[in-house]
Amino acid sequence: MPVESATRAVRTGLVAFAFLAYLIFIGVPGKIGGSALPVLALISALFIWLALRRESAALSGTAVDPGPGAYQKKPGWEIGPRDTSDASPFVDHLPFSVVTGFVLKGVLAGCTTGLLIAVLSGVSATAMGNGVSIQPVFDKIVPVNVAALIGVSPGQIAQAEVPLLRFVLQVLFFAGAGLLAALVAAAARSSQSQAEQLARLTTRLSGPTTVNVARYAGVALPFLLLAYIAWLGLPGVSVFGSNEGTIRLLITLIATGSGLFALRLSLPGRERTVVGVLLGLGVLAMPFILDQFQNSVMGLVFIFVMMGLGLNIVVGYAGLLDLGYVAFFAIGAYTYAFLSAPFSSPYVSSLLLLLGVAPESPLLGYWMALPVAMLTAAAGGILLGIPVLRMRGDYLAIVTLGFGEIIRLFMLNLGELTNGPRGILEISQPALFGLSPSSVTFGLLSSQGWIFLLALVSSALVAFVAIRLNDSRLGRAWFAMQEDEDVAEATGVHLVRTKLLAFAIGATFAGMAGQLYAARQINIFPENFSLFVSIDALALIIVGGIGSPAGIVLGALALKGLPEVLRGVDEYRIVTFAALLVIMMIVRPAGILPSARRRIQINDPNEMGPDSKIVSDGEAEVVQTAGVAKNAANGQEEAM
Amino acid sequence: MTALLSVQRVTKVFGGLTAVDGVDLDIEERSITSLIGPNGAGKTTLFNCLTGLHRPEVGEILFSGSSLIGLRPDEITDRGVARTYQNIRLFGRMTALENVLVGQHLRLEASHWSAVLRTARQQSEERAARELARDLLDFVGLSGREGVVSTNLPYGDQRLLEVARALGSRPRLLLLDEPAAGMNPSETDRMMDLVHRLRDEKGITVFLIEHDMKVVMSISESVAVLDYGEKIAEGTPEEVRANARVVEAYLGPEVEVQEATESASH
Ligand SMILES: Nc1ncnc2c1ncn2[C@@H]1O[C@H](COP(=O)(O)OP(=O)(O)O)[C@@H](O)[C@H]1O
Ligand SMILES: [Mg+2]
Repeated sequence: MPVESATRAVRTGLVAFAFLAYLIFIGVPGKIGGSALPVLALISALFIWLALRRESAALSGTAVDPGPGAYQKKPGWEIGPRDTSDASPFVDHLPFSVVTGFVLKGVLAGCTTGLLIAVLSGVSATAMGNGVSIQPVFDKIVPVNVAALIGVSPGQIAQAEVPLLRFVLQVLFFAGAGLLAALVAAAARSSQSQAEQLARLTTRLSGPTTVNVARYAGVALPFLLLAYIAWLGLPGVSVFGSNEGTIRLLITLIATGSGLFALRLSLPGRERTVVGVLLGLGVLAMPFILDQFQNSVMGLVFIFVMMGLGLNIVVGYAGLLDLGYVAFFAIGAYTYAFLSAPFSSPYVSSLLLLLGVAPESPLLGYWMALPVAMLTAAAGGILLGIPVLRMRGDYLAIVTLGFGEIIRLFMLNLGELTNGPRGILEISQPALFGLSPSSVTFGLLSSQGWIFLLALVSSALVAFVAIRLNDSRLGRAWFAMQEDEDVAEATGVHLVRTKLLAFAIGATFAGMAGQLYAARQINIFPENFSLFVSIDALALIIVGGIGSPAGIVLGALALKGLPEVLRGVDEYRIVTFAALLVIMMIVRPAGILPSARRRIQINDPNEMGPDSKIVSDGEAEVVQTAGVAKNAANGQEEAM
Repeated sequence: MTALLSVQRVTKVFGGLTAVDGVDLDIEERSITSLIGPNGAGKTTLFNCLTGLHRPEVGEILFSGSSLIGLRPDEITDRGVARTYQNIRLFGRMTALENVLVGQHLRLEASHWSAVLRTARQQSEERAARELARDLLDFVGLSGREGVVSTNLPYGDQRLLEVARALGSRPRLLLLDEPAAGMNPSETDRMMDLVHRLRDEKGITVFLIEHDMKVVMSISESVAVLDYGEKIAEGTPEEVRANARVVEAYLGPEVEVQEATESASH
């Protein structure tokens, strides 16, 4: 690694540290107490990431492909199989150490931050037996802050004796954050050509071992984190003291997110399948190893993943801006509530009497109610869809926004039917094979773990359906409609059918999410379904990357998960969060993990390498994978 | 022989402006017909009426014996009428291949469920569709460009891609709105060759709007002339060229007629 960029890495670390020091002096860590560490780790990771991004932008001057012949006016963003003999100049000019460099620099910057914090703590800490004791050095503020940094709550300051192991772990944590940021940056860079680029790097440009190490580190990271979470959950293990719960949650969020990057870093084909299956198993194990609080947050995250995937069909695939998406969430939730709670509205019971069914409670279990909730929500989607068929852009947004509010006001004011603001209480829990969270035999899984597990499985199902649909003629019709509605129609797309399908499928997914949400909450009230739910769902797909299911999962982790970690910062929560969002959109305007098409739209040459491809082209992908293999073979021959 | 397309007294009014004024026109199957006229004469508007983008106030449009009036654009495409646009309107962020696949949209039948389950039938249909899309790209001369995002194609290639997309719906009648506009002479030749091959190899009837008189005279079997929305002449290129009203309205002074005659005789 050149001296210059090493200096830059250290400088980044110093800047991050200066910022942290500033926070300490104004007393932020003390105020936020328990969760100071994760917050600050995130901030430092962000710094490092920003610095790396700047460097990668400087580097990408070499990434412009003149393209074969005079064919291309703009940098060629070719999608689809490439002639493997056609060596891309991008690959040839890219220094072999790019990925390695990122990782090393990330670690260096992370360690600088971590070490400096250690030094700062060291100033005020004296070795005491087998631990470290926190002593006031400056004023009252500093020790409290330092203590908070290493996981001691202000209340414990008097008898603060921090085990050495824990102290070291705190420092390492920062280094880890740096490493993660580096991997994320490396993965983000490699995404411009996805794994193929890395495959070429490994085989063609010498230094294959180092690059492979970086890649395998990236792939291994989520598994390590998962193991770590599991270990932290074992009885008797206490590393972070009073912050245990929050930090485990943070690591869970990071593990899930880095899992998505790991999937991207793995080579398409068998390797990706293996990594995917293992990751899937790891994630499925999460509900069993997390505690009630962490499970409840993760459950919420994945309920919003479902929402995001559904809204993405409407907004991301079909390009119809829907601001009233909460309506279908509410319809799903209330439908299940009507069917499963003791409250019975006079309308429902008289309807039942008409049908000749004796009212009993609950009417339907979770699984029987599922298709009803989905169908009701789909009907809602069509009901909204029909009047807005001819509307576009702003008008559509306003009308749908109104629809969302109408449904909420309906729930609020039709007291007879919906119990109004008093809500519907004691909604029953999903049971399977006679097992329910309350049954004794279900001991392994907490009630929130059960919800999380269901949310995981449902999200996977929803993602599967969404991806497959997008990769079919329907997905193409949606996207064509988004590009040019009139031309799409003249080309043969039935607009009414295609739009209504988008609304209905999107609404169905929201209905499923709503039902699970009702089960999670047990009691639901109209205010659970405010405009902010729509905004959250929209924000998470924008932050994650419109049109990209993996991005949506990341968006939900960031938007619904992080705020829970930030609970401790309550008064700063929204501000911090807003700042994060703003930075996000500046750094990655197309979202964290954008879809290939969005990257074209944003038109940032840094983002799209010469051999990017749209994954939906299934056949092309096969060809390309074969190309990679062939390439790899070539590379080995050359190396010999 | 009855005409494939029969336009009868079609009139389209925009506010106070009669863009198309009682136009009658017959187009024979497997013919190449040109529509000419000064800018703003109503040529594109007539195309829009034919493809369902506009609904004419008066008149009848018969395609292969049945009326197109009141049908949605996608229904008209389904009947076998496809088109390109004067100002290129591709699906910009889609690849060339995907553009042609959208063109085939209404010829694909697999249900959406089967797409989720990836049934054997749906998969073979998709494979066939990709195959056809590649063939069509080859046919228009865009071999090897299937993976290129369409906004990144050179201008001339974008026009060719529009033709390929239109062919995706397997039309019987193809409407080309100024296909050679903005092209250099060699690109124009390529496009004209394509038009011939469309008719000769695929048996498609071509109805095109064109400004380049040399092209019009050399390619078309019959020519119709619009001026201020009215059809002022119709016939073989020679007849139209000799028509006094056309000379006055469109071709201008005698010199130009001379030029046109010369170039046609080359
Ligand atoms: N959608 C429209 N609304 C109002 N006026 C239109 C519309 N489309 C075309 N026109 C008018 O109709 C006339 C004919 O236009 P057009 O058919 O585009 O001419 P051409 O294609 O022959 O150059 C022009 O005066 C044009 O301004
Ligand atoms: Mg025109």
